[in-house]
Amino acid sequence: MKTGRIRILSAALAALLAPWAGARAESVRISQIDPSMLLFNQNVKAYVSVTDDAGAPVKNIGRNRFTVYESADGNNFKRIPKIKDFRAMVNYRDGINFLLLIDNSGSMYLNVKQRLTRNPADTKFSHAKSAVSTFLKSMANPRDRVGLASYNSYYQSLSDPISDKEKIQGLLGRIGKPVGDEGYTEIYASLCRAVDEFRSVKGRKAILILSDGENRPYYRYTGKPHSDYGTKIFAYTEPIRDCQQEGISVFAINFGRAGERRDTHLKDIALRTGGAVFDAGNGRELARVYSKIADQIQNEYLITYPATMDPADRKYVKIEYASRRGPIQAVRFYFSSTVFGLPLKGFSFLLLLPFLLALILLWLLSMIRFERKKGAASIEVMNPGQARAVTRAFTLNKGRTVIGSSPGANMTIAGGVSRIKEKHATITFDTRKKRYTIVGDGDIKINNKRVKTKVLESGDVINVGGTTIVFDDGEVD
Amino acid sequence: MSTIKRRIFLCLVGLLAGLAAWPAAEITLLFQADFPSYLVFSIFLGAVFGIFIGAFFGSGDGIIMSHRRSIVTGVTRGLAIGALGGAIGFLVGQGALFLTGEYLIHSMRRFNTVGLPVSRAIGWAVLGVFLGMVDGVRSRSWNKIRIGIIGGVTGGFVGGLALEYFRIVFSETVFARLLGLLLFGLFIGLFYGFVEVRLSYGVLTLLNGRFKGKEFLINQKRLGIGEQEKNEIKLEGYRDVSERHALVRVKKDDVFISRVEGARLYVNDDPVDEHMLKYEDVIKIGSAKLLYQYK
Repeated sequence: MKTGRIRILSAALAALLAPWAGARAESVRISQIDPSMLLFNQNVKAYVSVTDDAGAPVKNIGRNRFTVYESADGNNFKRIPKIKDFRAMVNYRDGINFLLLIDNSGSMYLNVKQRLTRNPADTKFSHAKSAVSTFLKSMANPRDRVGLASYNSYYQSLSDPISDKEKIQGLLGRIGKPVGDEGYTEIYASLCRAVDEFRSVKGRKAILILSDGENRPYYRYTGKPHSDYGTKIFAYTEPIRDCQQEGISVFAINFGRAGERRDTHLKDIALRTGGAVFDAGNGRELARVYSKIADQIQNEYLITYPATMDPADRKYVKIEYASRRGPIQAVRFYFSSTVFGLPLKGFSFLLLLPFLLALILLWLLSMIRFERKKGAASIEVMNPGQARAVTRAFTLNKGRTVIGSSPGANMTIAGGVSRIKEKHATITFDTRKKRYTIVGDGDIKINNKRVKTKVLESGDVINVGGTTIVFDDGEVD
Repeated sequence: MSTIKRRIFLCLVGLLAGLAAWPAAEITLLFQADFPSYLVFSIFLGAVFGIFIGAFFGSGDGIIMSHRRSIVTGVTRGLAIGALGGAIGFLVGQGALFLTGEYLIHSMRRFNTVGLPVSRAIGWAVLGVFLGMVDGVRSRSWNKIRIGIIGGVTGGFVGGLALEYFRIVFSETVFARLLGLLLFGLFIGLFYGFVEVRLSYGVLTLLNGRFKGKEFLINQKRLGIGEQEKNEIKLEGYRDVSERHALVRVKKDDVFISRVEGARLYVNDDPVDEHMLKYEDVIKIGSAKLLYQYK
């Protein structure tokens, strides 16, 4: 009883203070980091959005209320001494990417008083569909794109962001009532999944979640591991972290009755990601959801600053905004890795050893002369062609040397493009003139020319049936 | 040097280039935070890396031909062109890495195991394109440039990937980058070796004498043959070879050999002034004989 009274009192106090607190509870968000000029002029651009707790942009903030920090590890931040350029954004013409995330759990098929209803038009789900229709109709920029997903125990992606809003409208009708174990509500897990799906989409991104605010994890209520998440139960801080990292703001349309079964964390998620919560019962407010989100983006601030050079694969940027309640921050990261990657932990003179080793080895290589010494006269198969050269090389003796297909030949070559005779060619040595002469019984070519006989010179190329054989007198001059 | 030996040799040169470039790259990386910008850092690191790759590959031709002067000029030119190629390559590679990395880091769940290695390998491949070209630019050979690009892209990509995965598997090692650089050099060398024969206009093989078996690739539009150092095909230790004896020229896809005034040139034992070479022609210059072949 006592606790009940305290609750009522604190609720009344909160209600009294709400307008005052609301005016001051601001949040800051980095909606995009653009490091595309980093390599050329060292500049990084950060698009920053500051909103109040109704999700409305805070306008006319001066440069001096922002401080930029960078960190290579996400913990130790270095202050950037000077912001190079600061401007309030106007004329953001590129469209916004929305992901509509519709609660399709069992409780969405009750009426707003949480009672069973026979009339499908009375269900919260039906209200959610009409809220989506209102939202789609209010989208003013043809470049805006919308994606659609539903969730209960499971996350189901229905469409990636597309500009065809009528198609999205049509897809809404395809969402079926949950059956079997689909009746639970994985809000936090589904938001994390939605961020994941949304990751590859470039530009400004917002998630619009339509929910009655209950997080009823499958594993907690059934005791059975979830087919996607296992035994993991997602905390509400996880989607906040993921959304902040990706610069996604979450706007929530709440179908829960105030004070009852309403998950306050959904409001936290919305506020801490720079979004807002709308009441589904308020038709006028619903119609303004789109313009509110668009307004937020139209009133971003663009901060350009010189990046630090600390080696890191990803560089964390912290923007600190001096709000009236004290400093608040937003952190995002950008890719900052270099081709060779991170440096070693320390310098060692041993590093010079490989360099010396390489020089010595190269010097040794250059010492190799690839020369040969004087030897005996020989014939050597250079290219067997299609034949099978049984003998590859033969040192010529002072007598007769036979080249042919016979196994008894001095150089045996079988096969070949044309028939090779058993004794195809004979080389004889003239002891008086000290020279070798070749005589062909079969068809031979010497130095690409058909001949019957020739006095051999060192380097002559003998072609026997397509096999090339080089004659070498062994001299090196 | 035969084709096989030449391939092995080029691979060795590539490995040595990677080995030599490693300490220089590591030392530069240690000072990253002291550079004023990514631009200056990329140009500097690229130039340092390029100098080593350029110098080592620049020495290759000279070493293969046992040609001292070629080694010196090759290294000097390699240094200069390597520095330029490295700087441009690293800058463009870094640009490509920033682009792919920034895209993938926000869109990929397995960024650390797939996204980063792939982005970095793309950066390495771009660096490889420019460094692979260095030796071709140095010897003013379009063919060599093409070969180098293929080798560089492959070497860069494979080297970059190997480096990343080596680092993922052995997180404590300091040798990951060394492995990457060795593979980078090895692949450039390997591709020079494998592709240069195919992309060349043919090979002249010495058939006799002191340097029997040595191969000269016709991978330039013009090659001088003679006894002097300035000739691309230097015939040292052969009788009756003039200082500049003959000239090999590539016109369209045909290879011609012509004699220099006063010199004697024989093709297939016939004296010629100029001759269009065909497969297995035997050229006689002084006491040296060369066989023309193509693959």
